[in-house]
Amino acid sequence: MKHRFLFSLVFLLACASLFAQESITVIFPKHEADLSGAFASRVKEFEASSQIKVNLIQMGWDDVNNKLTAEMASGGSAYDVVEFDNGNVAAWLGAGWVEPLDSYMPKGYTNGMIPGLVDLFTGGDGKLYGIVWNNDTRFFFYNAGMLKKAGIANPPRTWDELVSQSKTLMSKGLARYGMAGFWKAEWALANDFHFYAYTYGGKIVDKHGNILFNTDPNTLAAAQEMVKMLKEGVVDPASLTYDQEAVNNIFLKGDVAFLSQGIPGIMSYAQDPARSKVIGQVKVGLVPGGKVGTSAALTLPEAYAIPKGSTNKANAWKFIEFMTSRETNKKLAQQIGILPIWSGQYTDSDLVKLYPYWADFSKQMASAKGLAVLTWYNNFVDVCIPETQKMLSGKLTPKDALNEMAGLLKDYAGKP
Amino acid sequence: MAIRLFNPLTMDEPRKLGITLVMPSLIIVFGFLLFPFLYSFVLSLMNYDLARPRGNGFIGLGNYIHLTQDMYFLNSVVVTLVFSFCSVILEIILGVAIALVMNQDFKGRGILRALIIIPWALPSIVNASMWSWILNANYGALNALLSQLGILHGYRPWIADPSWAMVLIILTNVWKETPFTVIMVLAALQGIPTHLREAAVMDGAGAVRRFIHVVLPMIAQIVMICALLQVIWSLLHTFELVYVITRGGPFNSTDIIPMRIYWQTFKGLRFGYGAAMAYLAAIALLIPAVFYIRSAYKTTVE
Repeated sequence: MKHRFLFSLVFLLACASLFAQESITVIFPKHEADLSGAFASRVKEFEASSQIKVNLIQMGWDDVNNKLTAEMASGGSAYDVVEFDNGNVAAWLGAGWVEPLDSYMPKGYTNGMIPGLVDLFTGGDGKLYGIVWNNDTRFFFYNAGMLKKAGIANPPRTWDELVSQSKTLMSKGLARYGMAGFWKAEWALANDFHFYAYTYGGKIVDKHGNILFNTDPNTLAAAQEMVKMLKEGVVDPASLTYDQEAVNNIFLKGDVAFLSQGIPGIMSYAQDPARSKVIGQVKVGLVPGGKVGTSAALTLPEAYAIPKGSTNKANAWKFIEFMTSRETNKKLAQQIGILPIWSGQYTDSDLVKLYPYWADFSKQMASAKGLAVLTWYNNFVDVCIPETQKMLSGKLTPKDALNEMAGLLKDYAGKP
Repeated sequence: MAIRLFNPLTMDEPRKLGITLVMPSLIIVFGFLLFPFLYSFVLSLMNYDLARPRGNGFIGLGNYIHLTQDMYFLNSVVVTLVFSFCSVILEIILGVAIALVMNQDFKGRGILRALIIIPWALPSIVNASMWSWILNANYGALNALLSQLGILHGYRPWIADPSWAMVLIILTNVWKETPFTVIMVLAALQGIPTHLREAAVMDGAGAVRRFIHVVLPMIAQIVMICALLQVIWSLLHTFELVYVITRGGPFNSTDIIPMRIYWQTFKGLRFGYGAAMAYLAAIALLIPAVFYIRSAYKTTVE
């Protein structure tokens, strides 16, 4: 009797293991526009179609980043698909934490993807290490209603035009300031430093990691422009205390006329009476440049990657393939307005009907650039934040601030 | 003896029970305190840079030597000293003053005693978020209040100014930590025998002399313990405050040591360097900690 019971138990366990559903664990941040659980719904569709169970972990970007740092450093196998931020590319590839995807993906899989998004996650060995799930390109928004009231026909093409338009708007009492900057002592300030440098055609480092920002006249001109805008009262003096969310809110409340680096979701937020006092007034323009024609935008894409320690790499790829497919990408775009990673979808009739302003996004996307790819990017940020703030506060001249930054980073210079 | 102590076969029942009951605590202490403590010391002697693992390895005191030349770390030391000194002084002066008032007999004293503990009882992150909104340049209550009182003409971005940022961070910390001193001193005040005060009154001593010669000696030990604890907490309990309100800025003017450790370790991914900073901070904390233990022991003995 006892033996029969044991035999039955072993048999049942064996059957259960045979029919047990395969599973993967996936971790990535919650998209800022995903208030309706659109990503979680697509994950459920993947589970239904693939019969692979997904343990989905979604939390804030910082939390995900901290969790992954510890997990990847320990070589753990807790996750099968992970968030791979563009700012981590050099460090993670240098540490050998992620798996090249080339052997998993079908040949030509990335054909039709926005080339810049593919390039950012391609290693020096020519292999692809991540497929973008969040095309986080930033755009220039302006309050067309304010400009019209002030008799300004077109949005600014250069920063100098933005300064003069801002002064007009402020003198007529239409805006408190022209613009606000997210210049609080946090990570995003280094993004803004890149952004202004790019709009002047400036350079941060070369491909060997040599520092260029302190010798490049365009980057110096960009830094001088940042200081000038603050000094002339065109930029909100409280900008040194603002993060990105605060700046978005100030724009949506109608306190300022321009938003230099807005998330794509601003257009939707601007139509939401609960968040916006500028309904029907916001338009997209090309980012102003140092001179006419030098417009540039910053792109901060986030990708899916497979950690080296994953024990379910094939299933992990199936997940990535499903979630980044044209069909899923279109559904997500329709549902929550995320920017597609596939070039063709910017002219897709269904999407263009929903989001007519994507035509303007598309124009800007051609000049979008990523952050400097450096294994010492974290050190760059650590130095960039205080020195840029010193420059903005007038404690250092732009030239001195850039030289100070270069001096503090001299041990890393020349290391990619 | 040692074999008898740890050999369960030869141990008597009460001893077995004792060890069984103590074991979970021992595991927690060794696993979650002692091991990380020792391991982080090993890390502090290594170049352990996750972003550039090729150069990782033992470097002896390299991290500690580098710290003495690290401009940002040295700035953090100064910022932390200023922050701690000003916070503790204000907390003690205000704490004693409020406790003296609370010790008087007046209507509503019970409710006030309960209310005063609220800032201390609030979780640090809630406290920090609340002050972050109060200090907000555009929508903050501080600017609104000062404008309505006619003190300020136009809103002011307080925490964009390094001096004001430091002052306000100190004041928010004082707001949170003072109630602890109040409660402790109040308890000590209530332990002073009434006849001592009455004798002083009969001798013709005024309020100030009574405070200096009767009250102060009786509460001095508790005040000392509070001051030492506040010094320790000013290093340990303030991360959330600075992280939420200023992130250490503007230009590192509020960059206290815990912020620097956090940045180097979790943002910079330099675990060895971060561990060395943490160790120096721990050694610095040992000084008030030793004094605190001695004071607490002395109070207990007395």
